[in-house]
Amino acid sequence: MNFEQLSMLAPEFTMLVGGCLALLVGATSASQRAQLVSPLAFITIVAALLMTLSLGTPESAQVIPGLWLSSLTFYVRCVALVVGAIIVLVNWHQPTASERGEYMALILFSLLGVLLTASSNDLIVLFFSIELVSIPTYVLIGLSREDSRASESAVKYFFLGALSAAILAYGMSFLYGAAGTTLLQTSGDGASIAAWASHGVMSGTAIVGLLLILAGLAFKVAAVPLHVYVGDVYEGAASPITGLLGFVPKLAGFVALIQIFSACQWDVPDAAYWAIWAMAAATMTVGNVVALLQTNVKRMLAYSSVAHTGYMLVALLVGPMAGHGPMHNGVAALLFYIAVYGAMNLGLFAVLSAFARRGKPIETLDDLAGLATVSPLIGLATAVCSFSLMGLPPTAGFVGKLYVFSSAFSLGAEHAFQKPLIILAVIGVVNSAIGAAYYLRIVASVYIRESDESPTPVAGHPVRWGIALCSIPLLVLFVWPVGLLDTARQASVPTNAPVHSVKVVEASGITSAPNTTPPVLLNEMPFAAASRD
Amino acid sequence: MTIGVTHFLVVGAVMFCCGLYTMSTKRNAIGILIGVELVLNSSALNLVAFDRYMGAGRLDGQIMALFIIVLAAAEAALAVGICINVYRNLATVDVDKATQLRG
Repeated sequence: MNFEQLSMLAPEFTMLVGGCLALLVGATSASQRAQLVSPLAFITIVAALLMTLSLGTPESAQVIPGLWLSSLTFYVRCVALVVGAIIVLVNWHQPTASERGEYMALILFSLLGVLLTASSNDLIVLFFSIELVSIPTYVLIGLSREDSRASESAVKYFFLGALSAAILAYGMSFLYGAAGTTLLQTSGDGASIAAWASHGVMSGTAIVGLLLILAGLAFKVAAVPLHVYVGDVYEGAASPITGLLGFVPKLAGFVALIQIFSACQWDVPDAAYWAIWAMAAATMTVGNVVALLQTNVKRMLAYSSVAHTGYMLVALLVGPMAGHGPMHNGVAALLFYIAVYGAMNLGLFAVLSAFARRGKPIETLDDLAGLATVSPLIGLATAVCSFSLMGLPPTAGFVGKLYVFSSAFSLGAEHAFQKPLIILAVIGVVNSAIGAAYYLRIVASVYIRESDESPTPVAGHPVRWGIALCSIPLLVLFVWPVGLLDTARQASVPTNAPVHSVKVVEASGITSAPNTTPPVLLNEMPFAAASRD
Repeated sequence: MTIGVTHFLVVGAVMFCCGLYTMSTKRNAIGILIGVELVLNSSALNLVAFDRYMGAGRLDGQIMALFIIVLAAAEAALAVGICINVYRNLATVDVDKATQLRG
């Protein structure tokens, strides 16, 4: 390891230093200094984003054996930092002045965990990155809240989270026992899980390990049957932080699943495959049906978050190498979808946090009534985010759902799971239709329903900017999804090329695997080209 | 009879199940935390056993076990903080009393 290699971790170091500075500034009691914390957190994230962009898409480069930068790292860094910046905007005035330092530092640390998850190349690093994502969120729920519901939701989230972490560690111990190493992949001939998986049938130990890992990560992504906490936790937490809860752990969980499956060469054993299949079907259905029954918008969005996890699991099952066409890449569809989901979900929670009714933050459909007359622009943003969650044009949610389901339909007959995946995609499409019903209730409440007491705007400029930054990209990405999708497709190609084709470049001091990513051609994308016209 | 990796795995599995059982039956938040610790320690035991019998000599498992001990300590600190917060609001750490959120 030398300075050149360390400099590739500049975004992570920036987040770490920014978080520590926020803690220090927050520790000083002067309240005018507390005003500095939110701008500091925002600038830190923007700086980390600029560094990520200037570093560009790295060739698969190993910093230390446990950290491996790839095009997946680049994509996840960009998405996490862009959405992270909006999360800071939405939370700008949320914490009380005396707790603002801790609050912003915890947001930065949680995002740092996502960045590290995307570059981890070792089960140890992966496990602790995921914990770095989760542990700050347990605290964030209870911080700066007088409401006793917040401490109840913190306690529920913490104990289920701790259990899922323990199950994840237990599963990883079995995977380690089967593979004999915790390294996910190596550039040389050394032992790694990728090398072990490329020659050998999975033993029972490994399958047990994978199933337990799946169970542990199901909590992070809020998949059935480990979704039981979402309703209570989302309702108890403040709206601005709920936008973070719906996105950051989900992104980390899915990236971890991609990392582990790609180390296993996407050769998922049948038991795990069927487990994910059942999980995806149940997650979509339970999420949508329970969401239909809710009148509390936060609770409704919580179960909608479960349903969206189901759609993403479908894409995960398709995998990255289903075919050669543009729509055949499930992992690219998943990565695209989760970025879009982050924006549309955060947008709605930002709207909820921007208003109050009768002196309380708005929570129910009744509270939303008449919002469009009070603030037409925010009403429009609510409609855009809702339509995007529904998957209707002209929003990015439509493009995302199209990619996810068409990737499942596009499998060739030679694929062993062609029929089950088509059934799953049909279940998904039916579920999208069910989902439309409750999102429409939100739009109807905002636009049609009349209320004796309309919500009053309470948000400052940062929250308004946050709402704009969530909803405008949703329209832009519908017209021009190519840029994001192209990056997602590069990120989805497994970095672990067969061990023999990787050569070690020592001259530059950077151990790299050159050109494991095939070039992606824009004109391979009929839909993207068509939508531009 | 020589002691092999299976024996350690069985002990680990028993600890894992005891942890799950503790978590599902205890109503006191601290009791639930003890259950979490049992589950975490079962994974640490597994890691050390696998490292001893099947590892490639790189001590990966033992290092991960050490980190898990650190994580358990961090989680215990966090759990106590959260429990104090709950106690201030509800004057009890009995999780059955925390029932404002239902749906």
